[in-house]
Amino acid sequence: MHEASIVESLLRQVAQKAPPRTEVHRVHLCVGRLTNVSPDALNFYFEALRSGFLSSRAELIINQPALFARCQNCGREQEFADWTWECPQCKSGPLVFRNGSELELEAIEVEDNGNHPHR
Amino acid sequence: METIRIAEKILGKNDELAAANRERFEASGVFVVSLVGSAGGGKTSLLERAIPRLAGRLRAGVIEGDVETERDGRRIEALRVPVSQVVTGGTCHLNAGMIQKAAARMPLTEIDLLFIENVGNLICPASYSLGEHMRVVVMSTTEGEDKPLKYPAMFRQAEAMVLNKVDLLPHLPLNVSELEDFARRVQPELKIFRTSAQTNEGIEAWTKWLMKCRASWRQANWTN
Repeated sequence: MHEASIVESLLRQVAQKAPPRTEVHRVHLCVGRLTNVSPDALNFYFEALRSGFLSSRAELIINQPALFARCQNCGREQEFADWTWECPQCKSGPLVFRNGSELELEAIEVEDNGNHPHR
Repeated sequence: METIRIAEKILGKNDELAAANRERFEASGVFVVSLVGSAGGGKTSLLERAIPRLAGRLRAGVIEGDVETERDGRRIEALRVPVSQVVTGGTCHLNAGMIQKAAARMPLTEIDLLFIENVGNLICPASYSLGEHMRVVVMSTTEGEDKPLKYPAMFRQAEAMVLNKVDLLPHLPLNVSELEDFARRVQPELKIFRTSAQTNEGIEAWTKWLMKCRASWRQANWTN
């Protein structure tokens, strides 16, 4: 679905940021757990669409940080692996999340094009 | 191997276009409300009911978004307000670039309140800001209590939720209090309206609220 559009934007962004005469080996993303953006779908479209922008060796690495929320009812701050609507402490809510909406290109790992290290 | 730190939003370009759209709208005194929601929830029908009520009070305009057909655009045309139809041809959401092009075709100086009706979809539009001032989620009584829990990103972004098709409630097992409780778990500040585009129930209240929002915005931002 919209992961295709997101990957298209990403590939253009990476191509623009990669210094001349380098090959991009890894693309590091931060995808918040509240975005409803699927890492599987991102990977799928990345592999499908990367030619023309990046080499077939380019890899997508997706970081999905833990969520942090404060319960408006009992005041407790907690870490969550996934979105939820009920405070585990007081069984009420609402939970107000401090993060989770990130959709960022964090970093790229590049290697000089003319310099192929022996393995 | 060299690591280059970038730390930039992937959809930064869309955000920039959305900001430019917003500036353009503000320069023309246009308050923009986008409608999102599942296909079939009643977004277009709500507009068909609300826009005539604005006549004589605020000048309305609409940007209609659909994957295929101009049917919704034609329904709005019949209300005799400026309308621009965006047909995405497959893209499951509107983006700021599409709004920029659509707005360029509209007489913005003749519009006080611009509605943007997004493609019927509760997931993808959440990632794309358009330059609107407010988002309203439209859902129908047939969609079940747990909709806000299943699609939190969309409800979290909204200022208001319109629960439409309340005329069907006698035929449905829907627990409205539970739905509203779930919606407020996701977005505590959410204003909730109950409407029926068939019987006109709740339309006046929603329209009045939209006018109030525009008036507050105008007082705060636009001194012309």
